Amino acid sequence: MVQMPLTLAEPAHFSVVERLAFAVLGVASGALFWRRFGPILHKILESKRDPGFRLFPLGRRIRDFTWEVLCQAKVIRERPLPGLAHAFVFWGFCAFALVTINHCAVGLGVGFLSSEGWFSRLYFYLAGAFAIACAVGILGLFVRRFLVRPRWLGEKLSWESGFIAFLIFFLMVTYLAAFFVPAASHAAALLWWLHTLTLLVFLPIIPHTKHLHLVLSPATVFLSRGGFSDIPPLAGDEDFGLVAGADLTRLVSLQAYSCVECGRCTEHCPAANTGKILNPKEIILGLRGYLNEFGPKSAEPLLSKHIELEAPFQCTTCGACEFQCPVGIEHLPILVGLRRGAVNTGTWEDDHGAKLFLALERGSNALGMQATERDKFIQKQDFPIFDGTQEYCLWLGCMGAYDPKGREIVADFARVMTYLGTTFGVLRKEKCTGDPVRRLGNDLLFQQLTEANLDALAQNNVKKIVSICPHCVRTIQEDWKEYGLPPEVEHHSEFMARHLSRLPKPAQQETIVFHDPCYLGRYRDVYEEPRNIIKGAGHLVEAPRSRERSFCCGAGGGLAFLSEETGERVSHVRASELAGTGAQIVGTACPFCNSMLRDALTATGTSAPQLLDIAQLTARALPRLDSGNATSDVRESN
Amino acid sequence: MKIIVAIKQVPERDAQVRIDSTGKWIEETDLQWALNESDAYALEEALQFKEQHGGEVVVVSAGPERVGSTIREALAKGADRAIHTDCNDLGERDALGVARLLAAAIRTEQPDLVLTGLQSDDLGYGQTGVILAELLGLPHASLILHVEKSEGGITVKRELEEGWFQNIELPLPAALTIQSGGNKLRYATLMGIKRAKTKEVRRLTAAELGVADEPAVTLERIAMPQKQKSTQILSGTPQEAAAALVEKLKFEVRVL
Repeated sequence: MVQMPLTLAEPAHFSVVERLAFAVLGVASGALFWRRFGPILHKILESKRDPGFRLFPLGRRIRDFTWEVLCQAKVIRERPLPGLAHAFVFWGFCAFALVTINHCAVGLGVGFLSSEGWFSRLYFYLAGAFAIACAVGILGLFVRRFLVRPRWLGEKLSWESGFIAFLIFFLMVTYLAAFFVPAASHAAALLWWLHTLTLLVFLPIIPHTKHLHLVLSPATVFLSRGGFSDIPPLAGDEDFGLVAGADLTRLVSLQAYSCVECGRCTEHCPAANTGKILNPKEIILGLRGYLNEFGPKSAEPLLSKHIELEAPFQCTTCGACEFQCPVGIEHLPILVGLRRGAVNTGTWEDDHGAKLFLALERGSNALGMQATERDKFIQKQDFPIFDGTQEYCLWLGCMGAYDPKGREIVADFARVMTYLGTTFGVLRKEKCTGDPVRRLGNDLLFQQLTEANLDALAQNNVKKIVSICPHCVRTIQEDWKEYGLPPEVEHHSEFMARHLSRLPKPAQQETIVFHDPCYLGRYRDVYEEPRNIIKGAGHLVEAPRSRERSFCCGAGGGLAFLSEETGERVSHVRASELAGTGAQIVGTACPFCNSMLRDALTATGTSAPQLLDIAQLTARALPRLDSGNATSDVRESN
Repeated sequence: MKIIVAIKQVPERDAQVRIDSTGKWIEETDLQWALNESDAYALEEALQFKEQHGGEVVVVSAGPERVGSTIREALAKGADRAIHTDCNDLGERDALGVARLLAAAIRTEQPDLVLTGLQSDDLGYGQTGVILAELLGLPHASLILHVEKSEGGITVKRELEEGWFQNIELPLPAALTIQSGGNKLRYATLMGIKRAKTKEVRRLTAAELGVADEPAVTLERIAMPQKQKSTQILSGTPQEAAAALVEKLKFEVRVL
């Protein structure tokens, strides 16, 4: 058997003074760690219990933990190079756990891994390989933070991060160097002490910096609510959302302390990228600042010193932040929670917001139109009224029933359904699903609208709903559950994709760029269906930011009804990006996106691409009906 | 300062009304109800006045059981308590009959200010508030957009025709009928609704108030407006059509 040339050198003997010094320093380091970490843990545990939180079933939690924490999949997928560097550091730490425990045990004279045994020897080599990867990784991250300096890491250089990087690097070097010195030498003792001292300095720094995520984020990922934008129910008569510290739940506090300040949320946020006050990272850090200053029992309003009142109201609820976050922070329940706190107590004063709320308090739709306008549209289109005999209830939604372009989309989708021989009917009366008020945090209105709609659907014995609006679909399927059992619901992209083989294809093949609606993509995980429809209608072109990374049109979260006065318009940024692909057509799958992009594309210039919904793209290839067909009617009337 | 706001529950703006079998009133089943619009502005004005000068806002409403939901909405928006005058014959009462009911309920309160909407969105008599003032023996002004406190009384802003306004002074106590649009309405909040649960709603009946219904005006019949299509398509060249249009606007419609 060939003798391995390198062996990890460890000091063979410690004097009593050395052992005593190690014990004292170890206890001091642990105490310093706890002096900061203890109060943080206390603040988290002192926070309110999460209403509706269930630990079981564990399967989903274990899967997320394995994928996001152990495999570092999200970290790597969304930022491959720095993600991989981070993963090496993380895996290095994992591999080092056993080595470090042994290292300390050696100092106390109870080392259990000896460099003689085959397992220890093998393990030391394995840790050595990880140490090299970890050292290279941390060096890469150091270069990125201090030389490349991406702007979402913040304007200010974080020297503590530099120091931590140095400590990690030094830990690896002192470990690796021990392979090259003779066992039981002075050099071995020196390396042992250097490694130990570095460890003991590192430990208390963790809870004082964003490196707290080392300890907290595995728990945050494991305990996260799981659903996308999972808005918790209000608990009892005194819960109005996130008003003050006393409303912060354990999950929210845990998430606030877990933020690693990587800025992925900010990098992808439509508000932060168009010069608004809102920066999702600063919301989370604001909560942390609040908890540090006032604690989780305080009556001090959340929206004052640490977070500005307007900030949460600039959120389009596109969910890019929540999707991106590598440490399991759920931004949407927090942002919507802050809005709930301000709206449910009447603190938020906004002319457009009040107008929307009053329109829905007194009327049926978010556009503030007379319900008779919907009746006229149904009559003109000759839509059958749902009577329980048809397969689908075609949910018009506010945009489909009142917006001119939305009406065109609904009319074309109805043509597609008719062509396919699918029976459908519309409700005689329909109210807004409550999407904009749900996202703006008006729980009273949301409950009223939901109950009225659930009632109407039950009375009409509706079993299946199809809608052209991803906002309606999401709200019906997920948000209505708080007040009853909604019927099955699907988006028209899913319906049409299923019947694609029976639909005719157009003769001309134009290039079409697809704009992923947030509420269809990130919220519903539907990416392929609209693309398959577009591939049937022309040549699909991808936008620079697409699928999970799609950039919002600016309409979500009720913002279509508010005014956008600060910075650049989100819709203009997106429209330029879509027009920049050179595609002849912009394909959409949401009437709100359509409405926002309609104006924005016009503003991009004369050669703006055409804007069509997937229903319109599909209906173009259908054989023309007799003269006086429904579609041409609706176009003339606009 | 005690402010009374008389409010009415009317069918929701988007409600599809049908005439009932008597032909004298609308079918009430399945109808959605809301606070009468100008009453909402009266309430808003009262709440803002209270927020500035302190005091109490009491809402008074006459009508059947269902009126309770509208009363709760007013309490949720900030009224302090309410009086519900129970009666099932609101549609048959004339403006005097309704005003008598309200006046009997209000009189014992001895308010400093009585506000109500200019007119109801359903019957639209526009008289209840005015008669109420007379029955209470209070000075009165109508078509009011704003109320401000002045020395010894109030200054009110009245809306006249063609963008003209009139400011007049009144002593207190007084009664005013409020015009829609003078303020921005506040939205009802969840906290307001929860708080409203514990607020006092006193229920009275017409008999308890000693108000008999002796209508001076009786409602004979109500009818749906007839649909009329009078669209005309002007043919010919654009010049000819434009000339024909001007002709019609000048001599038939007389708007030019």
